[in-house]
Parts: sequence; structure tokens; C-alpha cells
Amino acid sequence: MSPTPDSNTNFSSAPLLEVCGLQLDFLKDGQALRAVDDVSFELKAGESICLVGESGCGKSVTALSVARLVPSPPARYVGGQIRVNGKNVFEMSPKELQQIRGGVVSYIFQEPGASLNPVFRVGDQILESLKLHRPASATREEVVQLLKLVGIPAPEARIHDYPHQLSGGMQQRIMIAMALASHPRLLIADEPTTALDVTIQAQIIELLKDLRQRIGMSLLLITHNFGIVGDLADRVVVMYAGQIVELAASATLLARPLHPYTRALMNSVPKLGGESDRLTAIPGNVPNLGSFPKGCRFHPRCPKARAECSESVPELREVEPGHWVRCPFWMS
Amino acid sequence: MTETQPNTPERQPSAPRGPWRLFWERLRRKKLAMAGAWILLALYSVSLLAGFVAPYKYDRIDKERSFHPPTRLTLQGGLPAVYRYEKFGEPASYAIAEGPKVRLRFWVQGESYTLLGFLPCSTHLFGASDSQTPLFLLGADQFGRDIFSRLLYGSQISLSIGLIGITLSLSLGMLIGGFAGYVGGSSDFVLMRLCELIMSIPGLYLIMALRSVFPASISSTTMYLVIVAILSFIRWASSARVIRGMTLSLRERQFVLAARALGQSRLQIVLKHILPSTFSYVIVAATLSVPYYILGEVVMSYLNVGIQEPEASWGLMLNAAQNHQYVQDYPWLLAPGGAIFLTVLAFNFLGDGLRDAADAKSS
Amino acid sequence: MWTFIARRLLYLIPLLIGVSLLTFLLMSLTPGDYFSELEQNPQISPATLAQLRAKAHLDKPWYVRYGYWLANAARLDFGYSIANKRPASELIFERLWNTCLLSMAAIVLAWGVAIPLGIWAAVKKDGWADRSCSLIAFVGLSIPEVLLALLALMFAASTGWFPIGGTQSSDYFLMTQGQVLIDRLHHLILPTAVLAASELAGIMRQMRSNLLDTLRAEFVTTARAKGLREGSVIYRHALRNAINPLLTMFGYSLASLLSGAFIVENVMAWPGLGRLTMESLTKKDPEIVVASVVMATALLVVGNLIADLLLAWSDPRIRVK
Repeated sequence: MSPTPDSNTNFSSAPLLEVCGLQLDFLKDGQALRAVDDVSFELKAGESICLVGESGCGKSVTALSVARLVPSPPARYVGGQIRVNGKNVFEMSPKELQQIRGGVVSYIFQEPGASLNPVFRVGDQILESLKLHRPASATREEVVQLLKLVGIPAPEARIHDYPHQLSGGMQQRIMIAMALASHPRLLIADEPTTALDVTIQAQIIELLKDLRQRIGMSLLLITHNFGIVGDLADRVVVMYAGQIVELAASATLLARPLHPYTRALMNSVPKLGGESDRLTAIPGNVPNLGSFPKGCRFHPRCPKARAECSESVPELREVEPGHWVRCPFWMS
Repeated sequence: MTETQPNTPERQPSAPRGPWRLFWERLRRKKLAMAGAWILLALYSVSLLAGFVAPYKYDRIDKERSFHPPTRLTLQGGLPAVYRYEKFGEPASYAIAEGPKVRLRFWVQGESYTLLGFLPCSTHLFGASDSQTPLFLLGADQFGRDIFSRLLYGSQISLSIGLIGITLSLSLGMLIGGFAGYVGGSSDFVLMRLCELIMSIPGLYLIMALRSVFPASISSTTMYLVIVAILSFIRWASSARVIRGMTLSLRERQFVLAARALGQSRLQIVLKHILPSTFSYVIVAATLSVPYYILGEVVMSYLNVGIQEPEASWGLMLNAAQNHQYVQDYPWLLAPGGAIFLTVLAFNFLGDGLRDAADAKSS
Repeated sequence: MWTFIARRLLYLIPLLIGVSLLTFLLMSLTPGDYFSELEQNPQISPATLAQLRAKAHLDKPWYVRYGYWLANAARLDFGYSIANKRPASELIFERLWNTCLLSMAAIVLAWGVAIPLGIWAAVKKDGWADRSCSLIAFVGLSIPEVLLALLALMFAASTGWFPIGGTQSSDYFLMTQGQVLIDRLHHLILPTAVLAASELAGIMRQMRSNLLDTLRAEFVTTARAKGLREGSVIYRHALRNAINPLLTMFGYSLASLLSGAFIVENVMAWPGLGRLTMESLTKKDPEIVVASVVMATALLVVGNLIADLLLAWSDPRIRVK
């Protein structure tokens, strides 16, 4: 029941990334808390997917799992597979993993200030990435080229700076340059703009959009903000409490969200320009890990919940071609 | 962080637990900390009843039995007994004597002492049935005094000095630190420079300089007070600085601002919000710095500027081990070192556990 | 950077004046003086005593004597030690050097052993290596230095492998230069080991917890995400950051190191400042006590300055401030 993209979209190549039935627990005080529960999706070369959900829904953990970056313990993989270029990352040797990391999949994170090593010059940190994956071009000139590519002014001077000497936006550009240095086929961006000022956010989104067009790599973007989904994503995966609740092409989903959670989430985001409805906050709180409600995990907060919602977990069903929803009452 | 959610009747929110309850539960799971707490409980109980547990008084001299080795315990007819020893040669050496052993009895009458400082008493926990046979569980020193008994009497000094010292220096530190942080301005400046001055002199140098203000030999009670006063005087500066910093930052913290916005009086805020917040620091800091006072007394007494003969203190008793020839021949002279080690270790175990339990992040 | 150093050194001056003033005041409150013992001697008349005291300025009030002392001390002249019958400065600097030597050797030994052990314990977290290191740390933190020094003396006496007390053998003038050096090192080993052992535990624990904290940092995930080997992640990216808080601790630990040296010097007869302080207190030679305390304080403050400079050198975030 792995949801696949529409057969009529124009991505013809084999999937670059396949996540199949991923299950992951966090061990805390001897208890296993399920953080990711049966998550499946795939991403073709050149495609761009957005993972959307509130904090704690498992989207970041899913994204970090692609290159096995979640430390275990406390994490424990219970089931499922993640295949990169057809090969399961859980069966890779440390050596193979090191080649995948950076070589195929690169990451940028939420807090560029914390993600750059404070005691090394930024130029050296980029150079390190080059040395690992493209030793032939590990030169100062290449670093300068990369900084130019991500739009950093006066790159020759900046390579001698330490991270703390740069603004948040510049730090994130450095992170992007470092991620791109190894020529990855997939860039995973984990809330790359959340920690930045609003004006800078727009610049970074523009940059990612521009780079995608120029380089043609795949993008897995994690966000809790629907505002940037339309700009960047071909498809959208909406997650709630460790599960996928809706998956569709971004145009479809933005036009006609079917799951009550997706709708609620979209209503809670102010839209620019659109004839604005009232903003509505979702009542209640995101359930804590380990205390997910029975049945549909969203039902305590769902405006359309019925008695049977609390009984069994609904299945993720394909209700239209390429549009998957985990709610039996999607039609209402 | 348990929210009650009206429309989730099947969710069972765990009963809300107060911070102290959580603290206690975290602490109880730390085995080493609990072990430390039990050791300390035992040490302090025995110390309180030193006169009763010790077979002899601390100053009972037996010139005939200088450096008597520890008396070996054995069983006779299923009951505890001790060997008798024969002395020969000069300098004296001892060997287990042939013949009958001497029974060990409990609740025996012996030398009189005052229990807990006011109850005249002459019952001892145990003793040899034959009063001529010495009972030196940890051997005897140069003057034939029982090291075990002296260790117990000495524990009254070593163990209490930490508690009194920490109380003194923390109250002084809280008072001055709180005052400096609250008043600010030039008195804050002067007080903090004074703290820096005290803290910039390496501890023992200042201790010795302060000690020299008092005459070399003074009565044992006065000496005890002098030691506590000096050790606390050096220590208050660092706690005053920390408390001052905490007062300053707590004043601006959100929960304090919220309490102020709710119209609580300044006293209420200090009592209900600021003080409890510094409390966990105070407990941890207190536990971890008790060893400083114990070791301070040890060093002073060892260097002959602390507790003086014939009183017993752990540092003073170690002084007898200064002569390495003695120590090689009579290793039991190092027993007070073992006692100091055990006590400090127990305090470190407990303090470490308290710190981890107070620091919720680490769990 | 240079202004920073200059400012710190300038700050040293009022501090040292304050310390000397405080110590001098304490010394003036001390009952009796060097000549008190002579009062019992019927052969020395009170007039002679008064003369002797006047010669040593002991008839003047303490603040006048402090004035004299300070004026001389500013020229690094600490007067004449009446008890030791030699110029005080000579004595002080000789002892200062010995304390410096002992402390520095102990620092090198303690850090050299503690840092690898701390890293090892952090990398093997919760394994047997970690557990035994933590046990050793508890023992090391709890064993009193006096006891450790006594045990070392006993060890030296029973094996005869190490000399007892002093910085060199009494027949050093018969030795060649190389032999003198070896002889001095031989005398240094045991006091250094005792002092280092008591410092080691704290550093090791700090190193372990710093590295564990750093390994949780986000830039470590970044380093892994780049495809670096786990070894490079730990030893290049994490370790380089974990060292910084340790340098701050280095400054703090100097105070306890000097107190530790005080104990080791007195128990193991190492002629340093701590031993000089005790000797001078017994001999009622207050000027020497004041000078020793001031020197020990200066040592501590300069040590702290060095620690700050090391930190600024190691952590680029501090460098700009």
C-alpha cells in the first residue's frame, strides 16, 4: 500500500528514495515510545517533496533516518526500510553510509548557528566536504565558487570568517553551500527557514527554488509552514503523531485538502494576498510521544470526529489517483 | 506538563507530581547516592553515641601497650571473643598469647562518660569480659590509646565541623549575596571586590594567615570555634557571588515577573518564588562542600595548628603517621585516613546524586 | 589582545596591594614577635630588646611598617629575613620557583593523563571503561591529599626507590650537570604524582561530560551528515569544542592546585612557598608570610590570565570580545 506518485507525472526514472513502512521507537526510562509509525513514501530523481506537520509529529526523525543520523540509542528502528538508490540504509556498512552521507544525500538544518562548527572557519568546513566527496576539486577556488552560487557577497573574504561572525541568513547560505559541495542528488532541508527573520526566510526559499532549477537535484523539505509548500514542492506529505495522514500532489492538496487535520493546519496559516478567511487555531495540543489517543490520533482535536473515530486507526487510502488520505469520512 | 483534555476520556493523565516528589524519585533511583546517604546516616549515628560505642575514653593512656596491634576477633564456643597478647622486647612487639581467649561482652560497665553531652553514663556497647585484657579494634597509638575509640570521639569534631561550617558560610553568603544583588550600587561593588580579594588568595595560605592571629595553644572548644570560623570565612565569598548572580537573574525571570504582574507582594515573591528556586542549588552546593570543611580541619590539625592533644580529631591522629618509620611498622596508624576517605566519599556520592536529581536535564 | 593582557596585569596591582594589606593586618594582630622568646632570656636586657625591635621597625605601628614594606616590595625587595638571616627576596624567589615547578609538573601530568581517560570514558559511555574511570574519579576526589602524601612517603621509604623530601640530594655539588638534572627530576617525581593524582579526577570527569554534551550538539550531526568517519567526528569536530570549557575550568582549578601544593609541600618536605609560609609563621617572621601569600596570589592570578589567553586562542568566539 505504498503510495506512489501519479503515473501521469513526468518523473520517469527509478525512485531515488523509498521509505517503506518505517517504524521507529524512542527508548525512555525503559519504555519504548513510538515516534514514527508505518511511514511510506517515495521520491524520484528530480522530484521535490514537502513533509508537513506540527513539531513532534515525526517528520524530522523520518528525514534524519534517511542517512541514519538519528542516534540509537535512544532511537530504535523497529520495522520498515529506507532505500537510497535501491539499497537499504539499515543494511549498509559504515563505509557505505559515509559515501551516502553527502555523496547522495545532503542536509541543511533549522539552526544554522548551531549546525556549523563554531571553532572552524566556514571555508574550511566547506573544504572538508569537498575533500570527502570530490577530492579533485577541493580547492579554495571551488569554495569561492560555491559561495558565489549561494549568493554570498565578497566570498573571498568570507571564507576566513568563523560562523559567529555571520548573520543567520548568511550562516544558512554557508550550510547550503556546504551541502551542495559534494554534489548530492538529494537535498534534505529540515525547517531551513524557521529560525530566520521573515525577509531572510523568503530569500532562502528563493535560493532553494533557484538552485533546484539550476542543478536539478531532488529536494525533501521539512516544514510546519504551508506557506512555502506551493513554491517548492511537487508533492506534499502531511504527518500527524508519527503517521502520514494525507499525501498528494501539492497543487491538488492546496486546492482541495481532504483530511480534517490538513484543513485545520492550512486554516491556521495566514495566506498572503488571498481573500483571507478567519484564522483558526487547532483546539487542544499535539499529543505527547507515548500518549497517542486510541483510534484516529487526531480525533480528540477533530471538529468532525464521530464515535467510531476513537475505535480503530483508519487506514491510509487512495481516494483519487495519487491522493491518499487517512480518514474514512474525507468526503464530508 | 499534563494537560487535561476534556474530550479524551480514555486517556489517563498521570497524577501530577510536585517538583520535590519528582526530585525524590529521581534521587531514589541513584544507587550510589542512596549508598552514600546510608553510610552518612550510620557514621553520624555512631558519632552521636561515640561514648557509648567506644570501649574507652579518647584520652585513656596505657603506657605499657604502646603501638599495640589491632586485637584479633574470634569465636569461642560460638560466641565472640578476643585473643590475648604478650609483649616482649624493646621497642615492644606483640604476639598472640597461648591459652584461653577472652569473651567479648555487650552492655558492659566501664569508664564513665556523658552521653550526648549531658547524660552521665558508664554503659558501653561492648567490652572484654576481663578488664585487664585490652580491646584495641584498630590498634593503639604511641601512648597506648585505643585508636578505634579516638576515631569515634574524633568523628564528633570532623563530622560536625562540616555541618556547622556550611551553615555559617551559606547563611553569610546568602545574606551578603542577597543583599548585594538586591541593593546593587556601590555596596554591591565593594562587597563583590571583597569577595574577589578573598577568592584570589589560594585557600590554605589565607587559612594559615588567619590562624596565626590566634594564640598557638588555646582551649579545645575555642580552637574548634576558631577552625570553623576561619574555614567559613574563606568559603562565604564564593557562595555570596553565586547567590548574588542567582538573585539578579531570578528577579528578571518570567515566573517572577508573572507573579509580580499578578500583584503578589515583594515578600511573597521572595519567599514563594525566588528562595525555592535557589534551594536546589543550596542543597547541592552544601552537600558537595562539606568535604572541604572536613579536609580543612584535617590539614590544620595535621599541621599542628588545629585541634591539639590530648583531644582526638582525625587530622591530629594522622599527624602520628607523619613518621614513616612508624607507619611502616604500625600501619594501623593510617586508620583515620580511611575514616576521612569513607566520609568524603559518601558525601561525594550523595552530592553527585543530588546534583543529577536536581538537574532535570540529565535524566 | 595586548590591551586585554595589559588591563589584566594592571588589575593585578590593586589586587596584590589589597592582599598584602590584608595579610599584613593579620600578621600585626598575631600575638608575639620574633623577639618574644628572648624576653625569657635573663641575659638580654629589655633595653637591648627594644633596640633590636627598633632596628626591625617592630616598635612602629603596623601601618607604618606596611608602608616600609610596600615601598620596598614595589622594587621586589622583601627586606631581610631576621629568622633566616638572609635577604628575603632570595628566599622567596627560590621557594616560588619550587612551587611553580611542582605545580607545572603536576598540571602536565594530571592533564596528560586525565584528558585521554575522560575521552575514553565518554566514547565508551556506560561500558566497563567508563564505569571504572568513574569509580577511580570518585576515589580520587575523596582521598585526602594528606593521606595520599603519607602513603607516598611510606612507599618511598619501604621501596627506597624515591628520595624523601627536598629538591636535590645533599651531595649535589659532587655531581655533573647531567646528574644534577636527573637527581632533581628524581626528587620531583613523587610530589608531582601525589599532587597530580588529586587533581586528575575532577579534570577527567569534566572532560567526559563536556565531550558527551558536545556529541549531542547539532554541528556534530552536521559533521556526520557530511560523511565524515566517526573518528573525525569525535576527535576533530567534537573534541575541539569540548576542550574550551575545560580551559575555563583550568583557571578555577589553579586555586585548588595551589592549596594542594601547600599540603604536598608540607607533608613531603618540598621547599616551596607553602612550606615557607608554615616555617615563617612558626618563626614569627611576618614579612616573609606576607610576601609568600602575595606571591602565591600572583601565581594564581597570572595562572588565570594564562588560562584566559589559552581560551581566547582556542575559542574564536571569545577572541573578538
